[in-house]
Amino acid sequence: MRRYGPAVLLALTGAAVLRISLFGELYLRYVQPGLRPYLIVSGAVLVLLAVATALTARRPATDAQDAHGHGHGPAGPRVAWLLTLPALALLLFPPPALGSYSAEREAARRAAQGVGTFPALPSGDPVELTLAEFGSRAIYDSARSLTGRTVRLTGFVTHGDDGTWYVTRLQVSCCAADATTGKAEIRGRAAADAPPTDTWVTVTGTWHPEGGLGTDAAWPPVLDATDVRRVAQPANPYEKR
Amino acid sequence: MDDQRTAAERTADGLRLALRALVYAVLGGAALLAVVTVASVLGPTLALDLYTPAVAAWWTVFTAVVVQGVPFLLLGTVVSAAMGAFVPDRVFRRLLPRNQALAVPVAGAAGVVLPGCECASVPVAGSLMRRGVAPAAALAFLLSAPAINPVVLVATSIAFPGQPAMVAARLAASLAAAVVMGWLWARFGRQEWLRLPKGRASGPAASGLAGFLAGLRHDFLHAGGFLVVGAGAAATFGIAVPRSVLDVFTGSAWAGVLLLAVLAVVLCVCSEADAFVAASLSGFSPTARLAFMVVGPMVDLKLIALQTGTFGRAFAVRFASVTWVVAVASSVLVGWWLL
Repeated sequence: MRRYGPAVLLALTGAAVLRISLFGELYLRYVQPGLRPYLIVSGAVLVLLAVATALTARRPATDAQDAHGHGHGPAGPRVAWLLTLPALALLLFPPPALGSYSAEREAARRAAQGVGTFPALPSGDPVELTLAEFGSRAIYDSARSLTGRTVRLTGFVTHGDDGTWYVTRLQVSCCAADATTGKAEIRGRAAADAPPTDTWVTVTGTWHPEGGLGTDAAWPPVLDATDVRRVAQPANPYEKR
Repeated sequence: MDDQRTAAERTADGLRLALRALVYAVLGGAALLAVVTVASVLGPTLALDLYTPAVAAWWTVFTAVVVQGVPFLLLGTVVSAAMGAFVPDRVFRRLLPRNQALAVPVAGAAGVVLPGCECASVPVAGSLMRRGVAPAAALAFLLSAPAINPVVLVATSIAFPGQPAMVAARLAASLAAAVVMGWLWARFGRQEWLRLPKGRASGPAASGLAGFLAGLRHDFLHAGGFLVVGAGAAATFGIAVPRSVLDVFTGSAWAGVLLLAVLAVVLCVCSEADAFVAASLSGFSPTARLAFMVVGPMVDLKLIALQTGTFGRAFAVRFASVTWVVAVASSVLVGWWLL
């Protein structure tokens, strides 16, 4: 272990990175889609480096190169063993995507922006919107572009205090550590029996205007649902902020 | 008499021994039985109870910070290992002016060319000093290199999309703090505080491909370990600290700056990944987050440890504390100016 420790560590880390990026889409639980190529390259480089390290470790003479006096011997820096924690977690039981717990902790914050006009909504009926876009159009769009349109939102279910429930989605700009919450309250006939918390649903309905433009009363936006359908968790559980 | 006494004593000893063994067996057996029972009954429930949504969220955030950091860490260590192995130190020495006061800003700006994190810059600065570069210049390089190199600046711009002012502010504040520290050392520094390593080079000794691989492996593992520490601390901070506590600090601009400047020291996030951590601390003012990114690459627990190992304790303690003050002041001024 002393001799092959660094090689094992590098291989574990590389394998973990490759597992979530090259062999599946688990990386979307942690980071944004754009990082995938970098993750694949890093995983491959780490595995190659592990092979090279294992090959040179067979010749004990090269161990001397490591003896440069900041608190670790030929087995490599001791702090590096901490890398096994995330690596094994990713390989054996990848942590789940953030859900209702984080959404409720992080007080739903609406992206502060000014009231103004928005570009025209794409055509189509119903029109698929992200919760972020639905929220900002509902609160800040002086042209009221949502009026009369049927929209479709996808997210997981969270519950309010007084029997209300929401379709919620976390928005991530870089990695899951910076997640913020977007949500819409669901009302109407189809919303009568609320699904349990953390169920993924697609809700179709029309916007229910409430509160003045740009005020706190307008938040969270309300959707009169005509159809609530349970769906599988999408590959990318987050919305790009 | 003597024989009788010893015989009696022997019996007593034997009894005592047997009694002790019995007590141990009973106590130990009971304890073992209790542990086994409790573990078998409570184990599964406890494991489920421990895996609460909060713990699950901790693991997700923890792995997310590591996964996000790995590609940047690797890129940085590849380039820094290549420079360590293929660029001789005398190139740096020849490029510096002889005048110390002039060499400090040049060395500080030269930090741009060493893409790496703070772990890489300590050995490089040590070897620069050993080869005759003025300590003040080497120290300016030590402080600026991890903070203002292209990899870190690109990472910062990715972490703060649409906020180029944050990248400019980080560059300006870090460079200013590094140059000020270099001048302070040139004016007030004493040679006897500095205990330079003798004999073996503290940087990667071998050059060429073998040296490159050894440097890459060492730098990645070392920095990767500290990235994990930082990710764990950041996840714990995000999950365990109640929002109301943060609101106290986010309410006051000054307290926020000081809190994040202390946090940067404690968290030890690698400079290639710290922008992402700073971006996630969304409740704080831009200036406070800038302070986090300026202080982090210059002063943190792992750097103090590395500097103690390379330059001696007398140096590390003085240098780290003064650097912290200068870095906070610099980020407050630049934040007030640019953000």
